Amino acid sequence: MAEEVDHKHKLYKLMSEQEAVSTFVHDGTSFTVGGFLINRESDCVFREIARQGQKDLKFIEESASPGVDMLIGTGQVVKFDTAYIMHRQVGGIVGMPNIERCLKEGNPRPVNMGGFMSTPDYKGNEQPLEIVDWTNFQVALRFVAAAMNVPFMPNRSSFGTDVPKYNKQIKFMKDPYTDQPIHLIPRCDLDVAFITVQKADRRGNGQVWGYEGCDVWKARAAKHVVLFAEKIVSTEEIYRHPAHTIIPAYCTDAVVYLPFSSLPFPVYGCHSSDGFITMDMLLSSQTRDSWKMWMDNWVFGCKNNAEFCGKIGWEVLERSVKSAHVLATIPD
Amino acid sequence: MADRKVTPEMMAEKEKWNQIYKVCCVASREFKDRNCVFGGVGISFLAVAIAKQVHAPNMILVAEAGYVGFTGVTSMGSPADNAGGFMAMCHQGLFDMFRDQQAGFMDQACLGLAQIDKFGNVGVSYVNPLIRMNGSGGGGDISSSAKSVTYVGEYNPRQFQAKVDYITNPGFLDGSKNARQKAGLVGEGPSAFVTDRGIFRFDPETHEMYLSDVFPWQDDKEIAEIVDAAPWDMKVAKDLKIIAPPSEDEANAVAMMDPLQGYRITQFMERPSAKYILMGRHDLIAYNYNAILVEESLRNNMKVMI
Repeated sequence: MAEEVDHKHKLYKLMSEQEAVSTFVHDGTSFTVGGFLINRESDCVFREIARQGQKDLKFIEESASPGVDMLIGTGQVVKFDTAYIMHRQVGGIVGMPNIERCLKEGNPRPVNMGGFMSTPDYKGNEQPLEIVDWTNFQVALRFVAAAMNVPFMPNRSSFGTDVPKYNKQIKFMKDPYTDQPIHLIPRCDLDVAFITVQKADRRGNGQVWGYEGCDVWKARAAKHVVLFAEKIVSTEEIYRHPAHTIIPAYCTDAVVYLPFSSLPFPVYGCHSSDGFITMDMLLSSQTRDSWKMWMDNWVFGCKNNAEFCGKIGWEVLERSVKSAHVLATIPD
Repeated sequence: MADRKVTPEMMAEKEKWNQIYKVCCVASREFKDRNCVFGGVGISFLAVAIAKQVHAPNMILVAEAGYVGFTGVTSMGSPADNAGGFMAMCHQGLFDMFRDQQAGFMDQACLGLAQIDKFGNVGVSYVNPLIRMNGSGGGGDISSSAKSVTYVGEYNPRQFQAKVDYITNPGFLDGSKNARQKAGLVGEGPSAFVTDRGIFRFDPETHEMYLSDVFPWQDDKEIAEIVDAAPWDMKVAKDLKIIAPPSEDEANAVAMMDPLQGYRITQFMERPSAKYILMGRHDLIAYNYNAILVEESLRNNMKVMI
């Protein structure tokens, strides 16, 4: 790496999505995306990282987007801290088929699931994918601890369960003040957070409508923060709704103007989810061969997020925006 | 229980409802008005939303991503679904939700499960051999700290285990007196497990799970079958209650929230949207059709809810 650039103190931080990913994601980087489960998750990041091909990545997220499954399929992720994956769907569809293949066949790499189960009879040489099991609150507290610059946060969840039994990072102790049992949740070591926001200005003030998820904490826990803005606005417009600025400019390293960055998943007040692409992805991913074809078509076949949108069809997306506006619109 | 007869009308009623109606409509009756209720994902959300629409209009519905007091006009694909932000009292964050829960503000919660033991300890992450489930998500925190938890799910004898493979959600732990308090858990533990073949509850003294309510069409033979399937000596309540089948209002609430039939049709591939894909109608017409259905349903529901 060349000399460190102080991105946080730049006055204007606009970047392209390729530049943002190549600047902040390197081999071995740990990263997270904003939002929760599927909503307002910056899913374009997974596609861009798949295209750029960084290796040995670590991903941490409370309830993870199905998007990370594609990086597991390409073998780019080696550590995955999570509480929930949309894995078992009603009707026998597997939500994260690449994780399933890692577990059953060791393809593309074997998996060690929470120290509880792992790929049986694996003969190859690939480093196993490490999946660490937490609860949502515990992952959130890891971000909170890092954001507050303290080593751990106390927590009252999971006593008597197998989560702390297999996850040795959760420490049990007696509270020194009252002698009550308490769990200690360690801070996370997070390099980059990619967060989709409805509005941002060039300086990096990110405004969010709808739920906040853990974005407040992720933005402060990560060494670098990249905002994907559905809309770039002037700082005057930021002044109109200051309570919505959950990520102030001092957190932000880069701002990417990228409408539909969460596709195929929804963003509050901007667009709804694309159930067809999601289902197409799910169904195609059920076998490794058809998953590769899907990737060639929808990920490697697109240069950037705009091409991905174009492939879905701009008329379709217009419809999707209208549907979301039935529920809510973002005020000017 | 002794002289109960199963009539042909009851059997007709049984055929009328699929398992989603049986589970969700019945579970919705567990939730009380003015309570603050944590809804899970999928059918556990549906059960809570039915309650809100049918008999508990002042319930404060919360979803873990940060939506508080929303109307539940439509089904939610995830706890962070855009619909959760619609007509909501408060938008906050996931950390705030669990903070408030650990502080004791959540009265009830509704969750799904994969395995459950005699004392209501639940596993949702891993099942032997080599099955990865969804994972605890917020369930581990909710079952630790919410005042009471109602589990919902389609009945399957595999769910009842002598020992859960990987416990993610604490129940009454080893079943001893005050086991939860001693371990450091804030909430009071599970209150019921609602299935399409009866409701299971927990004895206040021994914390053992027993069969407490059955549907009118379940005869003694079926009850014996359910009891035998449990790996422990499951008891049946002396005053076994009879569950009223789903009402018209409850069924309407489900229909209202589910214009795309994502819940009502349990088989993924039999849903209209999956059929479009199989038919190759992966085009604008199908998109528009779906979006219009959802929009229409939203507009109708808004009138009802306000």
